[in-house]
Amino acid sequence: MDALVLDDVTKRFGERTAVDALSFTVKPGEIFGFLGGNGAGKTTSLRMVLDILRPTSGRIAVLGCPPGRENAADLGFMPEERGLYRGMSAIDTVIYFGRLKGMTTAAARAKGHDLLERFGLAGSAKMQIDKLSKGMAQKVQLAATLVNGPKLLLLDEPFSGLDPVNQGLLEDEILGAARGGATVIFSTHVMQHAERLCDRLLLLSQGRKVFEGTQPEARGRLPARLGIVSRDTPMRCPGVDRAEEVATDPDGWRTYDVTLGDGIDPADVLQCLTEQGITLRRFDQHRVSLHEVFLHLVGTNSADTQGQPS
Amino acid sequence: MIHNILLVAMREFRQITGMRSFWLTLLILPIALAIGPIATKLMGSDKVQRVMLIDPEGREAIAIRARLDSDRQRRILTALSRYAQRYDLDRADPAALWAQHDRLYDDAEVTAFVKAGGMPVALATMKRATTPETPAFDPPEPDFTIVPTPPAIAKADPAALDRLLKPLIQPGEFGDKKAKPLDYVVYIPRGFGTSTTAARLWSSEQPAANFVQPLQSVLTLRVRAAYLQSTGLSPDQARAATTLVPAIAISTPAPGGGRERMLVRSIVPLLSAYILLMSLLLSGNWILQGLVEERSNKLIETVLACISPDELLYGKLAGTVAVGLTMVLVWALCAAGAAFVTQGAVGTFLRMALAPLASPWIILVMLYFFLAGYLMVSMILLAIGAMSDSMRDAQSYLTPVLLVIAMPFTIVAQGILSNTGATALKVLTWIPLYTPFTMLARLGGGVSVWEIVGSALTLALFIAIEFVLLARVFRASLLNAGQKPNLAALARLMRRDPA
Repeated sequence: MDALVLDDVTKRFGERTAVDALSFTVKPGEIFGFLGGNGAGKTTSLRMVLDILRPTSGRIAVLGCPPGRENAADLGFMPEERGLYRGMSAIDTVIYFGRLKGMTTAAARAKGHDLLERFGLAGSAKMQIDKLSKGMAQKVQLAATLVNGPKLLLLDEPFSGLDPVNQGLLEDEILGAARGGATVIFSTHVMQHAERLCDRLLLLSQGRKVFEGTQPEARGRLPARLGIVSRDTPMRCPGVDRAEEVATDPDGWRTYDVTLGDGIDPADVLQCLTEQGITLRRFDQHRVSLHEVFLHLVGTNSADTQGQPS
Repeated sequence: MIHNILLVAMREFRQITGMRSFWLTLLILPIALAIGPIATKLMGSDKVQRVMLIDPEGREAIAIRARLDSDRQRRILTALSRYAQRYDLDRADPAALWAQHDRLYDDAEVTAFVKAGGMPVALATMKRATTPETPAFDPPEPDFTIVPTPPAIAKADPAALDRLLKPLIQPGEFGDKKAKPLDYVVYIPRGFGTSTTAARLWSSEQPAANFVQPLQSVLTLRVRAAYLQSTGLSPDQARAATTLVPAIAISTPAPGGGRERMLVRSIVPLLSAYILLMSLLLSGNWILQGLVEERSNKLIETVLACISPDELLYGKLAGTVAVGLTMVLVWALCAAGAAFVTQGAVGTFLRMALAPLASPWIILVMLYFFLAGYLMVSMILLAIGAMSDSMRDAQSYLTPVLLVIAMPFTIVAQGILSNTGATALKVLTWIPLYTPFTMLARLGGGVSVWEIVGSALTLALFIAIEFVLLARVFRASLLNAGQKPNLAALARLMRRDPA
C-alpha cells in the first residue's frame, strides 16, 4: 500500500488555480521532498492531504484511505506557521494533541515525557509555553507532532524559523522516523535540506509538477560540467558542447569551463582526451546542486505571492 | 466526534477558568451586590435629625412633639405588624392591634397602642409565640430628636434669632466646627393663630416632607381652632371641631402581595436575564481571546489537522456554555450563602423570590431560554473570533454587536419593574435576538403558554439558521488570515459552504 497517492488533483480558489493536475505517489518508508518556491502549491497540497481543504477535482489516498480526520491517529503534521497555547504547560500541550489524535491520556503523557526528555526539555515539562524560549517551544511543537508515532509525517517548511541546533535535531528526527518505518513528506524551498534527507523529490512550479524522481535523476536533468586545465582545447572530443577558456598562465596552461552535451558521461571525455594525447594538469567533475536543478527547471520567477495559500 | 468536542470544550473551559481575570470578574457581581446595600445605607439620610423648638408660650411645642412621637409610634406599630405576620406571632394575641395586618393605622389606634404600653408590651406579648429561630425585632430608627432650647435663645428677641441660630444650623461656617448642626429650628410667636405673625422654620437643607407635613398639620389645627373660637364657638367646641377626621379604612397588600408580590416574583426571572446578559458580556472577551489566540498563534492549522472545523466550533461552544453555567452556579452559591448567613429577612425574601420556580415547567423554560440565549450569542462571538486576527480587530466587531444585544435590556427591566411598556415587551419577545432576555425577565409576571411555546420555537428556528450560516463563516474564515470580510463578502460566505 502506498503511503500517499495524489491522482490528477486540482485545487482552484476562484479564478486562481493553486494546484494543477498534480499526480505523484510516495512509497512507505520514503523521505519525500516537496520542493517549490513561494506560491508553488506546496501548502495547499498538504492541506488537501489533511482534509483541511478539499480538492476541486482528482483523487487523494492517504495510507490507502480518503483524506479525513479518521487518519489523524496515523498522521503527524507540523505546519509552516507554528504556534502553541501560551497558557498551557509543555507536557499538557503534547498530551492535548496526543488525545486529539486518539491516544489515551496515560499513553500521551508517557510518550510526551519520553519525547521532551529526548529533546532536553525534561526539566521544563511543566513550564507554561509563554515561559519557554522560542527554541524550546519549537521542540515542544515537534514533540506534539511526533507524540502519536505517526506512520506518515507531513512537515510543511519544517526548517523555517529553526535555529541551527533545532534544524539538526529535526533532521535527526526525520531520519529516525524513516528508519522506524514512517514515511516522511516535507515541503521546503531550501535545497540543502532536501539534498541531505530526500530519497525522492518532487518539484512544483505554479501548481504544476515539473519533476519527480531521485536526486541523481534530478541532477541528470542538467548537463554535466567539467573544470579542465590543459594546453589544448577539449573541443576536439565528441560530446563537448562548449569549452570556455577562463584563464591562461604564462607557461601556456589554459583553464577551461566545459559543458557537456545531454547524457554525456565525463569519463568518456577523459578517455578521449587521453587517447588524443592532450596533457591534463586538472580534470574536475562539477557536481550539480539541487539548487541549480531547481533554477534550471523552475526558473528564477517562480514566486507567486498573491496571498492565497501556496 | 463527541470525544473531540469534549476535548476542545475541556481545554477551553480550563483555559478560561485558569485565568485570574475570570475569577476577579466572577466575584465582581456578588461583591457589588454586597457593597450596594451598604453603600446605599452609608449614602442614605438615615441619621436622626435634630430639631429645636422655640415656643415662648410652650403650647405648640408640646403639640408638635406629640405629633412627631405619634408618627414614630405608627411606624413601630406597622413594623410590629409585619414582624408578627412574617414570623407567625399573631396567635400570641389575635386581638392585638399589631395582629391586624395589611392596613394603615389611624391616630386613634396609634394612641390606643401607646396607651396599652407600646412596643415593650407588644414584644413581651409576642414572646409567647416566638421560637428560638425567631430573630429579634429591629425597631425603626426615630426620624427626629428634639434638642433642648438654650435659655438665651428661648428668651431672645425674635429679630435676633437669625443671627443666634446661624452658628447652630451651620456650625462649620459660623460656629464650633465640632458641634453637631441642628437640622430644623421652629419658632412659634406669641399669640400664634390669633395674630398674623408667622411661625418660622429654619432648615439646614431643603426641608423634608416627613417634617414639614406634621408641623403644618399641627399649626393648621391651631389656626383653625383660633378661627372657630373667634366665630363664637367655645374653646372645647373649637378643639373638637379641629380633631374631626373622616373615617377611612385603608387596606394595603400583605408583605409580598399585590404589586410588591409581583415585583418580588419577578426578581429571580429578571435577575436570570441580567445574569445571562452579564455572563455573556463578561465571557465574550474570553471566548474571543481563545479563538484569536489560536489564529494569531497559527495554531488553527495544527488543530484542524486533527479535528474538523465543526468539532472545533461545537467544542468551543460547549466550553463557553460550561463557563457561563459555572459563573451562574458560583453566583447562585453566593446568593445561597448570603441567605444562609443572614437567615432572617434575606431568607424570607429569597423564599418569596424563588416562588415562581416552584413549578418544574418554569424551571425548564428558564433553563431553555438561558441556554438558548447563551448559544445564540456565543455563536455570533465565535464567528467574530474566526474573522479576527487580533483582539483589536475583534473588539471592533464585538462592541457594536454587544451594544445591539444589551441596549433593549434597560427597556425590558424598566418595563417589568414599573409595570409599563407591555406592548414593547411583547414585541421584544418575538425578536429572536432579544427573546431569551425578554422572556426570562417576563416569566415572573406570568406569560401565556402559547407565547412561551411560540417564542421558544421561533428562537430554536433562528438558532438553527444562525448555526448553519455562521458555521459557514466560521469554517471559511478560520484559515483566511489577514482578510477582513466586508458585509458583501460576509453574505457570500453565508451563502455557500466552503469546500
